[in-house]
Amino acid sequence: MKISLKHIFIFLGLCLFVFNTSAQKRYTISGYLNDKSTGESLIGATVKVNEIKTGTATNSYGYYSLSLPQGKYTLVFSYLGFKTINVPIVLDKNTIINQKLDIQITESKEVVITGEREDKNVRSTEMSRLEITGQQVKSLPVIFGEPDVLKTITLLPGIKSGGEGSTGFYVRGGGPDQNLILMDEAVVYNPSHLFGFLSVFNTDAVKNIDVIKGGIPANYGGRLSSILNVNLREGNNQKYVVNGGVGLIASRLSVEGPIQKGRSSFLVAVRRTYVDVLARPFLADDLKGNSYYFYDVNLKMNFNLGQKDKLFFSGYFGRDILNYTSPTNRAINFNLGWGNSTATLRWNHVFNPRLFCNTSAIYNRYDLFNDFNFGATGFNVRSGIQDWNFKNDYTWFINDKHQAKFGLNYTFHTFTPGILTGQAGSIILDQEISKQYAHELAVYAMDEWRINQRFTLNAGLRAVFYNMVGPYTKKQYNDDNLPTGVEASWKTNESIAFYPRLEPRAALTYLVDEQSSVKASFTQTYQFIHLATTSGASFPVDLWVPSSLRVKPQLAYQYALGYFRNFDNNKWETSAEVYYKPMYNQIEFKPFSRLFLNQNLEEEMVFGQGLSYGLELFIKKKVGKTTGWIGYTLSKTTRQFDELNGGQAYLFRYDRTHDISVVISHTFNKKWSMNFVFVYGTGNAVTLPVARYAYRVGYNLEQNKPELTFIDVYDKINEYRLPAYHRADISFTYLAKKTDKWESNWNFSVYNIYNRANPYFIYFLPDLDKLEVKAYMVYLFPILPSVAWNFKF
Amino acid sequence: MKHILYILSILIITLSACEKEIEVDLPPTTPLLVIEASVNTYSPWLNYVFISNTIDYFKPDLSFNGVKGATVYITPGKIVNSDTLFDKANRYTFADLSNLGNIPGLDSIGRSISGMYLNPLFRASANTSYLLEVSLEDGRVITARTHIPPVVTIDSMKVRYDGIGETGKQNAYLSFWFNDAPGQNNYRMALRNNPDSVLFGWGNADSYRTFDDEFVNNGVIPFEFFRPFEGGDTLNIYFTSIGRKEFRFWQSFGRAANNGGPFATPGNVKSNIDGVIGSFTGYAVDFKRIIFDE
Repeated sequence: MKISLKHIFIFLGLCLFVFNTSAQKRYTISGYLNDKSTGESLIGATVKVNEIKTGTATNSYGYYSLSLPQGKYTLVFSYLGFKTINVPIVLDKNTIINQKLDIQITESKEVVITGEREDKNVRSTEMSRLEITGQQVKSLPVIFGEPDVLKTITLLPGIKSGGEGSTGFYVRGGGPDQNLILMDEAVVYNPSHLFGFLSVFNTDAVKNIDVIKGGIPANYGGRLSSILNVNLREGNNQKYVVNGGVGLIASRLSVEGPIQKGRSSFLVAVRRTYVDVLARPFLADDLKGNSYYFYDVNLKMNFNLGQKDKLFFSGYFGRDILNYTSPTNRAINFNLGWGNSTATLRWNHVFNPRLFCNTSAIYNRYDLFNDFNFGATGFNVRSGIQDWNFKNDYTWFINDKHQAKFGLNYTFHTFTPGILTGQAGSIILDQEISKQYAHELAVYAMDEWRINQRFTLNAGLRAVFYNMVGPYTKKQYNDDNLPTGVEASWKTNESIAFYPRLEPRAALTYLVDEQSSVKASFTQTYQFIHLATTSGASFPVDLWVPSSLRVKPQLAYQYALGYFRNFDNNKWETSAEVYYKPMYNQIEFKPFSRLFLNQNLEEEMVFGQGLSYGLELFIKKKVGKTTGWIGYTLSKTTRQFDELNGGQAYLFRYDRTHDISVVISHTFNKKWSMNFVFVYGTGNAVTLPVARYAYRVGYNLEQNKPELTFIDVYDKINEYRLPAYHRADISFTYLAKKTDKWESNWNFSVYNIYNRANPYFIYFLPDLDKLEVKAYMVYLFPILPSVAWNFKF
Repeated sequence: MKHILYILSILIITLSACEKEIEVDLPPTTPLLVIEASVNTYSPWLNYVFISNTIDYFKPDLSFNGVKGATVYITPGKIVNSDTLFDKANRYTFADLSNLGNIPGLDSIGRSISGMYLNPLFRASANTSYLLEVSLEDGRVITARTHIPPVVTIDSMKVRYDGIGETGKQNAYLSFWFNDAPGQNNYRMALRNNPDSVLFGWGNADSYRTFDDEFVNNGVIPFEFFRPFEGGDTLNIYFTSIGRKEFRFWQSFGRAANNGGPFATPGNVKSNIDGVIGSFTGYAVDFKRIIFDE
């Protein structure tokens, strides 16, 4: 596995050589596709050449490039939900066509599922990949009337929700930290607001969402299980538009418009909960000082600098704030806060019509900050992670047989595991767990090679060089979790743990006929940073930790095979996929481990492996008055750690034998539309006590009775299944008014229509009168109607 | 941080949670032996060995399955050269309380707690190791050792009176200071808010704190009670020093007893007696009593 930069360059050089030999005398047509009314770039729109039955699709920046022999052609630009445009051309030199497409006004506009090429499902080498538009997310019924990206993607097969109260999602048996969550290319380390009830993505600002759960192409890496790519809108460069929504717990407002008409645009979107503001005047005196709220702000700017250059800026800032003051003693109070900040500066440059370049400089961080005051004692604790990231990606439209991508991605991580400052009585507290630093450099190259009419191969290689560096001091601990006094120290930039790793990726498509294909893929992925969590859920107190001497990079292989078939002129899409995914160097914590301010955190970890395999079935109707999909997953996921469960493999907490989701959208008329969702999932696997005993014995002489504490005994891990999770939701959208100047709609939704009590957790309570222990199940949301009002002008 | 997680989860639940009773089917298990053994430098009522078995979780029986008929010895160790020797000649027999006969005050305890072994004549000292030997009727033999560290005393106490509490009495905020010696030290404190200071078993206390000198070592450590006591209260403080293995047990016990919230990974206590659940703990006790002004 030892590789060097030299090897990588030899590999890249070979690739270039191979591609160049196949080039011949041709001309190139290239350009951007945009939405005519807003100027937004169109991702994945198709460009077909009628005469020779070839074509391409726009990349994730809306750029396309086609290389054809000299001649007369008719180009067909199309995108679902937009009017198709035919453009005749005479090709005798390299030509740029920046095409604007007009929205097709049909009643089904609201329910466009994706804007992808109609038969992309069958033809592309992509498998295990799903796309959703921001519009789709908004139309589905949701709790409290708050549309949510992460809730929506868990309706797709192979992606499982952690349950209510969790935005953590689990892709093909992977943990929530194994998903690379990107917002305009910036990593979002904690995607949740409100302890996981909502995600950080403001749907007003979301353009589209791309989820890759297998066959991850070589231009992505850093996580084992999936890539969630959330692209934000660029803002309307034609006119000013205000979007807003008033929901039960939060309100949203966004403003967008041209900075210079047709050339540049901006978008500002804000969101805030207001329970705290509304409740403040009504709070009893002793509850004053208690509040919870979150807010987030998205800012985006987009500049067209001529034909060849585009510049984007995208920023996000969000915070959750919880204030608590003890009702009985106001000197006791604490403030908790956490949130992400990201900034992306992106430059698209067209070197020549066939070579497209994207360069991004990205900053992102996640912070947790808490203040505690207990009378004379007050302290402040902080933790977090911060990245500086530089990306340089090239798309090379070599010819109609080859399209290559190559580039590099460098990240500098800074981990702040915990800082404690303050005062306890007369003692000054000043504890800091050593910060940790790591460089992560990835270089990649991949080629999509249309071998012949039937076979297409996408092969790529990603080489990652991870280096944890000083300054760092590691204290040695003994078996009793006590420092031995021995310390190991590293100087600034001195290498502590160096892991060079190769990630081969391959995907092959065999076109059976115009309507069906068979695809296979192989992915090898490494993950160098890990989420330290003892909860299995995603909480703000969880910590990100780097690979180090003791913590080895996580590794996964994934093999997937699928059959894809479209029916009725691509109106219906179906697919069946099987996958097999072993995972290594997985991390768990010993019971009762303390995450926070623990200098010896690594010693509390245990390392083992995981395995997930399954079958995913998917059927989707893309157009018409009624659209939607049904997904079904049959799967099994286990974990095995030598130090846990007696070394035996056990079920992953989120192992889900059966998982079903049904999503149906229907448009009744111009005013009314309906969305329906049904989900079913096998209950989580949990560990329950098998026995109990009485301990810490005492005798109360006044009451003449023994005083004991009951302690639970646990045996096998995750041997018990919670009851199944299932639920149906429905929503109706009423388009109250629509003119050129003003548009507003009402969204009425009912969450959990048949009032299913879905388990959140179970707990036990001894009943001293009946001399028995009883089990209680806590469930969060009964049937919940809600209403939201959205407007746009 | 556990507490914050707990508060957060409570907050979530109070947002909109409901609950209902459910049936959980758990298979029967083989009983495991549980031993709680304590020796201390202060009170004969805190020298005891309590032996019981685990009970199936949902068994409609909240008794504690005490184990009778065991032979229990505790032997103080003597340091000879650098070895600790336990001489059988010095050993104390701890007798089953239900066999002790009619000792006033103890008979009712003996009737309600089976598996309790005592020796009212036994006294333990600081800086001494002790050997526990338990022989069960079924032939099993369990041995364990503990060491009582030096006594650490509370040097000074301060009470700040501030405001009136819910019951109309003044709030009394207590702080005290103690001197942490060089090296690693572990503390466990039992509190009893009662005019009667005697603890009959550690379970007779109201609350407990288990902590070590991780954040402040080798110096004066302040201990501050965040919650006020009430004017007129009598607080009995059993401030004890214990060994590291014993500390690890009681720390895990505290986490197991409080359950860590619904999302914590459940775990078993870290026993320091081989082959059974439980701990043999030697306590170096400093006892303090304070009566707060009315």
